[in-house]
Amino acid sequence: MIAINDLQKTYDTGSITVEALRGLSFNINKGEFVAIMGASGSGKSTLMNLLGLLDVASAGTYILNQTEVSALEEKDFARIRNKEIGFVFQTFNLLPHLTALHNVELPMMYAGVKLAARRERATLLLERMGLIDRMHHYPNELSGGQNQRVAIARSLANNPAIILADEPTGALDSHTSLEVMDIFQQLNLDGTTIIVVTHEENIAQHAGRILRLSDGLLIMDDIVQEPLDAGQALSSLRKEAGSI
Amino acid sequence: MNIRELMVVALASIRSSKLRSFLTTLGIVIGIAAVISVVAIGQGGKAMLMQELEKFGTNLFVVYVNYQEGETSRPSDLQVSDITLIKNVVPEVKYMAPVCYTQMKLRGSQGQKTVQLLGTSADLVHVNNLEIAQGRFLNEEDESAGRQVIVIQEDTAKELFGSEKPLGQRVVIGSTSSMVVGVLKQDTSVLNDNSRQSAYITMSLMRNMTGWTYIHQIYGSATSKEAVDTAMERTKSILERRHNAPGHYEARSMEQEMQSANKILGIVGLVIGLIAGISLLVGGIGVMNIMLVSVTERTREIGIRMALGARRQDILIQFLFESIVLCLMGGIIGTILGYGGAYVVAKIAHWPPLVSWWTIVIAFLFSAGVGLFFGLYPANQAARLKPIEALRRE
Ligand SMILES: Nc1ncnc2c1ncn2[C@@H]1O[C@H](COP(=O)(O)OP(=O)(O)OP(=O)(O)O)[C@@H](O)[C@H]1O
Ligand SMILES: [Mg+2]
Repeated sequence: MIAINDLQKTYDTGSITVEALRGLSFNINKGEFVAIMGASGSGKSTLMNLLGLLDVASAGTYILNQTEVSALEEKDFARIRNKEIGFVFQTFNLLPHLTALHNVELPMMYAGVKLAARRERATLLLERMGLIDRMHHYPNELSGGQNQRVAIARSLANNPAIILADEPTGALDSHTSLEVMDIFQQLNLDGTTIIVVTHEENIAQHAGRILRLSDGLLIMDDIVQEPLDAGQALSSLRKEAGSI
Repeated sequence: MNIRELMVVALASIRSSKLRSFLTTLGIVIGIAAVISVVAIGQGGKAMLMQELEKFGTNLFVVYVNYQEGETSRPSDLQVSDITLIKNVVPEVKYMAPVCYTQMKLRGSQGQKTVQLLGTSADLVHVNNLEIAQGRFLNEEDESAGRQVIVIQEDTAKELFGSEKPLGQRVVIGSTSSMVVGVLKQDTSVLNDNSRQSAYITMSLMRNMTGWTYIHQIYGSATSKEAVDTAMERTKSILERRHNAPGHYEARSMEQEMQSANKILGIVGLVIGLIAGISLLVGGIGVMNIMLVSVTERTREIGIRMALGARRQDILIQFLFESIVLCLMGGIIGTILGYGGAYVVAKIAHWPPLVSWWTIVIAFLFSAGVGLFFGLYPANQAARLKPIEALRRE
């Protein structure tokens, strides 16, 4: 599904050039759950932006679904971002003057989905995220965890094959982080490829594979033998809370 | 995105900063209001003017002598006999009346009044569409029998005779005295200076009073609007031949008068349109300025939309649409204000404000056009943003 070979990214900021990625090569197959880890400044976000076609590489190849990305045009990028990829950001990136429902509808609007169909799907997605009673609220009326669930619902709007999440739990407490990972694990069970950037080892342990970056290079590519089950952790937490 | 969705997005954004949106569009509001009010007043005035001119009859034409400089003997002077001849040989002429003017003081039983005294003939009542209130107008026999009769206007009658019945009363002009045979309805036209009254006597009486052996002007009425030009031309050529004075006669038709009035109104309209255009230009620059600010402020929003799959053209259209809607709202408010202003002015000036539907259509199209033109650059700036750079902007 994703094949990367010697991918490089150099930021040219006039006075200095920063080599953020210095030749990365790896493949990610359909249905994988991958965590990307590394120190701050190691190039994780840079890599995610390239994978999500928000930015273009300086050198190397990126093949997405058998298509060499550098051969595509801007409008193809827009289409792929719209249909094939769902983004989840650390700071949610919801539009503040739109309600949860309308935020979730946005990708479908750009996909040309008719209003009625779009409303129905957005409602369904919010329901799945447990936000049915909050769908007419604006982002500033929701908690961080709720906002992130709206953002996840939005990323799922056009039923993408890949979810790219850059530190999705970075702004959340541990319990809400578990909830988000639970959602990702369930989506992954349904076949969605998930790539999550995180700082936290215990978050990364929910994935099936961990890529570790250092200074723009891939230094480790590990399979997680027994990934943590966020759903189980949550229910046992709930039990604990109930027993007290 | 379809129009409805674009509309919703644009309105949401405009609503999110109401005061700023209003201030932004104020230039457009003022520009459009100025255009609409001026056009409304202008069109109303024009309609009124045309209506009044038409009252005189669109078939009307006037012939007069174009006296040459240093001319001593005046062989070209118009004669009553010219009219008799022209009426006989020019089929396009339906009515034709001679006119001589002078200022005279009229004295009646109750008072006196200085009027413009016209020496003329029976035809004038048709040529000028005069309306009789009482009695009759001058006729052929008054002229041939040399009757001392006069036709006056209602207001004059009141001044001269108070509440007495004017018909049959005597009016003293200098040393002569004439009998009132007719009273004309007071002309309420705005074009008429109502402080100046007219009174009508026969040509022969006029000649006796003043000693004039010629007439000042000939008023003619053609058989139809289309025949006016022929009637004028033929009248002129007969006069030129008869008096052996080529180039000595001028003729103007009501049609020509209307056209020149129209032309002046057109120029006035053009000047005002120019001023309005400048104000719209200034308004448009204001809109562009705010749209640029808006694009900068909403860079992150643009980035998010792009990450969610908005194409460059979606962003372009979104901002263009917003700019157009903003200007169109200004146009609508401006139209309402402009019409209101025109209504007030018209109420005071006593003529109806008139806004044709196409003026409103043009005003709307124009404000939308301003929005389109001045929104293009900011919208393009927005659409050209790189997704990742837009997303990273705070
Ligand atoms: N737009 C940019 N211009 C210049 N340098 C940049 C830009 N974006 C990132 N960098 C540099 O590239 C390197 C990698 O940045 P990146 O954001 O990918 O790190 P990260 O691994 O996501 O870090 P963090 O964990 O702190 O988010 C850093 O040295 C950073 O300073
Ligand atoms: Mg980062």
